[in-house]
Amino acid sequence: MTFPIPTTSNDDAIPVGRTEFLRGVKKSIPMMIGFVPFGLVLGAQASAKGFSPLEVSLLTGINFAGGSEFAAIGLWTSPPHLLLLAGVTLLINSRHILMGATLAPFLRRFPRSKALIALALMCDETWALTLSDAREREKHGLFPSLTLPFYFGVAICLWLTWIVSTAFGGLIGPALGDITRYGFDMAFPAVFLVLLRGMWTGMRAARPWLVSGVVAAAVYLLVPGAWYVPAGAVSGVLAAWFWSAETHT
Amino acid sequence: MSVHLTTFLAILLMGVATYSTRLIGYALLGNRELSPRAKRVMDAAPGCVLISVIAPHFVSGGPADLVALIVTAVAATRLSLLPTILIGVASAGLLRLL
Repeated sequence: MTFPIPTTSNDDAIPVGRTEFLRGVKKSIPMMIGFVPFGLVLGAQASAKGFSPLEVSLLTGINFAGGSEFAAIGLWTSPPHLLLLAGVTLLINSRHILMGATLAPFLRRFPRSKALIALALMCDETWALTLSDAREREKHGLFPSLTLPFYFGVAICLWLTWIVSTAFGGLIGPALGDITRYGFDMAFPAVFLVLLRGMWTGMRAARPWLVSGVVAAAVYLLVPGAWYVPAGAVSGVLAAWFWSAETHT
Repeated sequence: MSVHLTTFLAILLMGVATYSTRLIGYALLGNRELSPRAKRVMDAAPGCVLISVIAPHFVSGGPADLVALIVTAVAATRLSLLPTILIGVASAGLLRLL
């Protein structure tokens, strides 16, 4: 298998590409462990709705956005309601719009075709890992801050883990029960909290986060469905826009 | 193993919906240079998305979940990724047994 190499450094691109890819693989390992229990549960739920393991892996491989897949399985009827499923998927994944925008400055150095492939594999965790890594490298003056091999190292590992674990969940299906009960569901907040710590630059800069958290929690409690994600994200960004007018001190 | 046509169609539509959300932000910002103010906003945006996604965890569980979440948050301020995950999973699993 060959992987895209950064177009900016042609001379020693291949060794850099390989080490960067391996660095991405390594970086994704804790997250892969976090994926497995969720993948098993999603696969089991899908099989209860009549999905064959192949259909499960098509769903998780083509869509590759866990939250929307859990929602879709929950809403699944026979025959499926196509527009409802597409609409709910669009709503739940609307946060990707903001995520893609934050990656754009890093992706802009690459050929468009490669950026489009990279975006096809962008899930919450790939985005969060690569963005925090890119910002960390930027802070330390490392160039380029984001390489495609690193990105694909993270993205492909997580993508394959998701496909395989959901298909396996579909296979063993009902024998499984809800293993997230035993605390595995805490893996995701744990990951996200560590990433937030990495993005922390002080109380002042974190005020929009507080707005997001409070709004998202309130909307989650008051409004059914997945509206809390876009509501929280947008209100935080609006707050950041409002506060960014202050003179920088 | 079989793949039903309507199932495949639904999956394809979901995939199109998801891929479009992945493209829009990149396409809108594309090659534009950001103003300093917009850059400051974009610096805050990732944290806003992350915290919005996990916000329900803070308000949906019982006291055991909340304590486990606080333990995890404290761990996150001083430890790296893997130990934090282990502490989070272990504390949630143990506290729910109590």
